[in-house]
Amino acid sequence: MSDDDVRMSQIARALRAPVRLSASFDARVMAAVRRLPGHERLKLWARLTTPRSVTMVPLTWGLLAASVALFAVLGALHFVVDVDRAAKPIASALFPAQMKPAPQRVQFVLVAPDAKKVAVVGDFNGWDAQHAGYQAQHRGGGVWSVTAPVPVGHHRYSFVVDDSVWVADPSAPRVVDNDYGVPNSAIVVPQE
Amino acid sequence: MEASSDAVVITHVLRGDVDAFGTLVERYRDRYARYAFHMLGNREDAEEALQDAFTRAYRSLPQCEDPERFGAWLFRILVNRCRTVGARRGRRARTFVADETALLSAAEDHPAEQTAWREEIDRALQQLRSDQREAFLLKYVEELGYDEMSQLTGVGVSALKMRVMRACERLRELLSEVHSV
Amino acid sequence: MTKSVRTVTVLSLVARALTAQSGGPDPRLVARLDKPTYVAVNAIVDSARAAKLPTAPLVDKALEGAAKGSDGTKIVTAVQQLRVRMTSARAVLGSNATSDELKAASAAFEAGVSDRDLARVKAASGKRPVTMPLAVITDLIGRQIEVSAATNLVIQLEKSGVKDSAFGLFQRNVRADIDRGADPTVAAQTRARGLLQRGATTGKPSE
Repeated sequence: MSDDDVRMSQIARALRAPVRLSASFDARVMAAVRRLPGHERLKLWARLTTPRSVTMVPLTWGLLAASVALFAVLGALHFVVDVDRAAKPIASALFPAQMKPAPQRVQFVLVAPDAKKVAVVGDFNGWDAQHAGYQAQHRGGGVWSVTAPVPVGHHRYSFVVDDSVWVADPSAPRVVDNDYGVPNSAIVVPQE
Repeated sequence: MEASSDAVVITHVLRGDVDAFGTLVERYRDRYARYAFHMLGNREDAEEALQDAFTRAYRSLPQCEDPERFGAWLFRILVNRCRTVGARRGRRARTFVADETALLSAAEDHPAEQTAWREEIDRALQQLRSDQREAFLLKYVEELGYDEMSQLTGVGVSALKMRVMRACERLRELLSEVHSV
Repeated sequence: MTKSVRTVTVLSLVARALTAQSGGPDPRLVARLDKPTYVAVNAIVDSARAAKLPTAPLVDKALEGAAKGSDGTKIVTAVQQLRVRMTSARAVLGSNATSDELKAASAAFEAGVSDRDLARVKAASGKRPVTMPLAVITDLIGRQIEVSAATNLVIQLEKSGVKDSAFGLFQRNVRADIDRGADPTVAAQTRARGLLQRGATTGKPSE
C-alpha cells in the first residue's frame, strides 16, 4: 500500500466514526410519518366510507334494531359502573375479559414519628389519598405501614402525610418527577 | 420485530402497522447519519435530509421493488436529499461547525487529538466540490464499489473514478500539514 | 314475505361500534379536573388512543396532578409531555412494547436517558421486558449516578442475564450503601461486580 493509500485509509477510518443524532430524531421521524396517509388504513377507511346498498330482510332488520338498542343500553350502563372499571371500553362487556394476573399484596412502610395520618397514593389507586384500602396504620415508634393490593406492572406512587406533605418512599426506586415538582417512587410488581 | 428482516418489517408497515416503520428508522439512521453529516457538514442539515429521506421512503414504500434491499433503496433517496439540501444552501454549504464533531461523536472514548483530527478532515471535506465529496464518501467511507456508486448516483464509472481521484488529491493538499493519529 | 331493500349507511354502525370501543369519559377525570383542563386532557387521551398508545398512564398522570393540587396548565402540559415520551419510547422499543415498558421508558427519558441508550437496553434484554432494568437505571440516576455510568452498568448486568429479582436486590443494596455514606457510583459498581460474580442470572444471557 502506498503512503497515499495509507493516508486515505486513515482519513476514511476517522470518518467512519459513528455520528450521534439529536435525542428526538426518531420521534420526529415517526411523528412526520404518522402525519402521512397510512397504507392499509387508507384502503380500510375508503372501504368503510363508500356508500353501498345492503339488502335487508325483516329478520335482519330486527337483529340490527336489537343490536342498536343493545349498544344504547350498554352506553347507559357505562356511567353506572364503579370507578375501577371506568377506564375500560364498553365493548369489553360483549367479549370475554382478558385474564389479567391477580394483584399482589405489597407492604408499604414509612417512618414518620410526627405524622397523624399516612396514605399511599399512586397509579394503582387513581392517586386517591382517601382510598380506604391504602391508609397506613401506625404500628408504634413512628412506624406506619399498610399492605395493599398492587396490580402486576410498573407504578409510580408516593406517601401523603397528613393530607398535605408528599414523601417519596425512601426504600423504593426513585423517579425523577419534574412535572409537578414533587418526587415519586416506582414499584415494579412482578407476575408470580 | 427487531430481529425481522427488512422485507418482513415492510410487510407489516404496508398492512397498516405504522409503528413498525420505527424498526427501519432505528436500523438505518446511524449509518446514514454519518453520510449525511459528512456530506452536509452540520447536524441540522443532516437531520433534515435524513428525516426527509425516511418520510419519502415511507410514502413510496409500495414502490420499493426489492424490500430485502430496502437499505440500498433508502440510501439512494438520502443521496438525492443531500444533493437537494446542499444545493439549497448554495455557498453556505461550506459552513462547518467545529463543535459538531465533538458533540456528534458517539465513540465511547475520543481523545482530544482524535476529535481535532476529525474536525480537520471534516473542514477539508467541506472545501471539496460537492460531487467530489459525494464520490469520496461513497467510495472510502461507505466502501461501495464503483458499479454500486454508479447505480446510486446515476453517474458513469469513469466519471466517478475521476471525482474520487480529484477528491483525494485535494484532501491530501488540505491535510498535508496535519499529522495523522 | 317480501324483502325490503334498504340502503344502510355502514358508517353509522361503524361509528356506534367505535364509540362503544372508546370507553367514554373517565368519571375520575370528570370529577377531579375543572372543565377546561378535563377537555384538554381528554383530547390528548383520545388522540393517544387513536395512535394505539396506552391511555391509563396519561389518565394517571392527570389524576396525580389533581391530587397534588397542580393548576390545569401544568396538568395538561404534564399529560402532553408524557404522551410525547411514550411515543418516543415506542419508536425505540417497537409496537409490541407493553404499557409498563413504555411507562418505565418514559421515566427513564425524563431522567436523561437517550433514545440511543434505550435502544441499547432493549438490545441487551433480547425478548425479556425492559421494565425493571429501566426502573433501576432511573433510580441510579436519581441517586446522583451519571446517566451514562448508570446505563452502561445496567446494560452489562442485563447482558449477563441478571433476573428482575436480583435487580431489585441490587437496587436496595446500592441504596443502603449510599445511605451509609458510600460514593454512589462506587457503590453501584461494587454491587454490580458482586452480582456478576455470584452469577445471579437466568443462565441464558440475552446475547
